[in-house]
Amino acid sequence: MPHLYTSKDKYNPAQLEEMEGKYTPPELVSCIASREVEDREVVFVGIGISGLAGAISKLVHTPNCILVTEAGYVGFPSLSVLISPADNSAGLMAICHQGLADVFIDLQSGLVDVAYLGFAQMDKFGNVNVSYITSRQLKMNGSGGGGDIASSAGRIVYTAEFNARQWVGKLDYMTETGFFDGSPDARKKANLVGGGPSCVVTDKGVFRFDLVSHELYLAEVFPWQDKKKIKTLKGIFPWDLKIASPLKILEPPTEREVTAAKQMDPSGQYTVASILDRPIGKLISQGKIGLEACDLMCQLGERAISEILESVT
Amino acid sequence: MTIRGLQTIDYEQRAMVSEHKKRLHKVMTEKEAVATFLNDGDSFCIGGFVLWRQAESVMREIARQGRKNLSVIDESGDYEGIDLLVELGILDRIDIAYSLTRQIGGISGTPALERSIREGVPRSVEAGGVLVTPRDQIKSDIPPLKIVDWTNFEISLRLMGGAFNVPFMPCRSSIGSDIPLYNTEMKVINDPFENKPLLLIPAYKPDVAFISVQKADRRGNGQIWGFKGTDHWKARAAKHVVLLTEELVPTEKIYENPSLTIIPAYCTDAVVHLPFNCTPTGCFGSYQIDGLSFNSNLLQRQTRIGALKWVDDWVYGCKDHFAYCDKVGWERLDRLAKSEHKFNRIPA
Repeated sequence: MPHLYTSKDKYNPAQLEEMEGKYTPPELVSCIASREVEDREVVFVGIGISGLAGAISKLVHTPNCILVTEAGYVGFPSLSVLISPADNSAGLMAICHQGLADVFIDLQSGLVDVAYLGFAQMDKFGNVNVSYITSRQLKMNGSGGGGDIASSAGRIVYTAEFNARQWVGKLDYMTETGFFDGSPDARKKANLVGGGPSCVVTDKGVFRFDLVSHELYLAEVFPWQDKKKIKTLKGIFPWDLKIASPLKILEPPTEREVTAAKQMDPSGQYTVASILDRPIGKLISQGKIGLEACDLMCQLGERAISEILESVT
Repeated sequence: MTIRGLQTIDYEQRAMVSEHKKRLHKVMTEKEAVATFLNDGDSFCIGGFVLWRQAESVMREIARQGRKNLSVIDESGDYEGIDLLVELGILDRIDIAYSLTRQIGGISGTPALERSIREGVPRSVEAGGVLVTPRDQIKSDIPPLKIVDWTNFEISLRLMGGAFNVPFMPCRSSIGSDIPLYNTEMKVINDPFENKPLLLIPAYKPDVAFISVQKADRRGNGQIWGFKGTDHWKARAAKHVVLLTEELVPTEKIYENPSLTIIPAYCTDAVVHLPFNCTPTGCFGSYQIDGLSFNSNLLQRQTRIGALKWVDDWVYGCKDHFAYCDKVGWERLDRLAKSEHKFNRIPA
């Protein structure tokens, strides 16, 4: 893995605080996750932050990786944050327009090396729920391709803005397979093609899975996370979270990574969590939904794609 | 029954191939197509994938014609259309892998579905064998709307199995997860050759597939630009196939790019010339997503009152798709087309 670890001593305390304020959570997650791919790998990208991570990787770290979306777009340079795997921006400059089933057959053939996925609930062994929260009578999005991807992609990089509710002792529903109960050959016994989750990238550090016990542990933290913050973090988990010793210190997002992230979404159309805070939400809440507003939204989209198209061609 | 001397042929199966597929001129209106092919109690699917090339106009037409007891099968997508049919209590069963629920910051992507689960309005829900509408919320004796969970690949395999004309398709997805645990229609077996776990997905033949294409001729040769989704499988699995085309072209035009004809005439029962039938979703090479309309509709549909008002205005209030386009405004639709043409354009 092309990691750029540096020592914490490089930074003085005053610098650290200022540094932390420089990045938004989506930037932290997507930029750090973008380093999890090696060049020439085949990369399955999702939507939102997980798609953004793949896009940054393609632009900055791994120019020869091949990005694949569920709907059937393959080998595109990534020109915008995807709001759907069938987005036209993924069809632009793609090497192949194929079908949904074709992509899943490719996955099951073992042709996809790494996949980015988001998640709602995760347990100690990387099993994931994106279907139901039973205590709140809530139906969530459901598997989509997640169940297939988690079964068959070479490895999975999970991405999420850190949220205490995401970590549970027992899942309400296991949509995506991790390492089951952690036993050594659980995935092999289930006859799954893929190797399972490799890491979870959050804005509170990177978690990896122990090679033997398959248990989630805190592997890497940002330079601004001191001992106290790490202790608080540990307390959030409903199990006794193991922490790597020594903990690696992450190189904060580089200028190139952040620039790439901003290029993908210059107006914060997709990476802002609430739709009401996005440009589109602001227009709607002002009652501007007519032709003029439509024209404005079209212009925003066109400008974003044109700009990045220039830089990749 | 003997067909060309073959005694063993299963005539019942052959009879499923509808006479409509043999016609040389299949053009009709959307109203006629829905009335002819979709009956109460039928199942259907629509083409495309999440927000792209999804026949939203058909969902509104189904609602206008007041069909009852329908089932829909889809991988992921058509939130507005499916949610509209849920709002009106038209659906009995949904087989789906993904329905946008709470992704966008506290705003429900499928408000009618969430309301149905929580409050039993307009009918109660039994979701994936996991969630049911609380007993004290059930107001009527209409049987609950049943939601069956699959993954995207598994829905694709259901339709591929339908196209293959076999009872099931095998795969290695989601073995050991809770999906095959709660969905008892799929089966994990030990395969007879290598004795390893294998997941069997029951095949499915929907009654009707409504598929949006960029170009089609009067015979029903459909050409698609951009991603293919599962549309070529849907067209072969479904008993009746209705193409909704952006452009109706002479067959000579089809000859120019035969590799793009993913739905040949022998699959097709009807062709509807219906520009902008996907709006507010997008169509590759034709027009962009109308995100502003989609999201403002969504905000209006958050409450039952708002949703019913929206249905009155945009569904019942328009006699057909063209009246809907008039109401949206052709200038707006042209603007969305211009935006898409800036980057992707279908050759004339």
